[in-house]
Amino acid sequence: MDKTDKSILSVLQNEFPICAKPYDILAEKLGLTVDELWERINKMMDSGVIRRIGASLDSQKLGYSSTLAAVRVENAVVDQAADLIGSYHEVTHSYQRDNEYNIWFTLIAVNDARIAQILEEIRVKRGLNESDVLNLPVLKLFKLDARFKTNAEKKSK
Amino acid sequence: MNDIERKVVKAIQHGMPKSLTPYEDMAKEAGITTDEILGVLNGWAENKKLRRIGAIVNHFEVGLSAGMMTVWQVPEDQLEEVGEQLAGFKEVSHAYARQGSEDWPYNLYTMVHGSTEEEVKNTIERMSETCGVKNYSGLGTIKELKKVPPTYIVNGTD
Repeated sequence: MDKTDKSILSVLQNEFPICAKPYDILAEKLGLTVDELWERINKMMDSGVIRRIGASLDSQKLGYSSTLAAVRVENAVVDQAADLIGSYHEVTHSYQRDNEYNIWFTLIAVNDARIAQILEEIRVKRGLNESDVLNLPVLKLFKLDARFKTNAEKKSK
Repeated sequence: MNDIERKVVKAIQHGMPKSLTPYEDMAKEAGITTDEILGVLNGWAENKKLRRIGAIVNHFEVGLSAGMMTVWQVPEDQLEEVGEQLAGFKEVSHAYARQGSEDWPYNLYTMVHGSTEEEVKNTIERMSETCGVKNYSGLGTIKELKKVPPTYIVNGTD
């Protein structure tokens, strides 16, 4: 990744325009031709630096419920439990973690009742006790910023 | 959400098309006009229903290869102050207060990033010293099991 790629990543993460031809505006901002910009973006997508270009919506403001949950399962059955958990489209992220509660996952669902229903289904299907399942809804958001800071941005801070 | 908004969410929820005219393409696919999709998204950018639009970068590929979910047990009356303190660290991407329980007393959750595990550990120690909370636990990732964008509108339900 050279300096130009880093500048592209910065504007692509922070200033993606909502208009008919967003890349024309970005190219002008960066002093590149649209072709050059597009080629570099495609390369960074192919190499996996850019996962995707998309929108992050505020699920709560759109009327959805979300939570962080965890289950405590025996290590031998982590994969089966993970498959069950991952089968719900409401589960967006799931990780095996180094803790007695060994599978952690985030859920976004139409309401709190649906979240409770999913967690109860998982508990029953895996034969777990109530204390083996954690439901940890957010009380307060202090920070949510998953953007990668390019060097240019770090220096200006 | 109204009908057009639902169509916009369905079109954009799993990412934008690889195209120089992504909004136009999504609008066509959704059966709405480009002006309608731009109108909804610009409105949502204004009232913050849209948190962010743009590139989602792979942290591993850009050198932030280490990350640790770290959970803190903070006395209730210090939660607000400690939450703001830890959120102030540039290495922290997420900081939330969450409802703890008898089985799990932790009530503050942070994601801490760095280029090496050592760096992340040092950051977590600095965080602990700064906020004075000694009861914390780092939950290292053993394996990523699933990572997908949220599905707000399921196929066939619109």
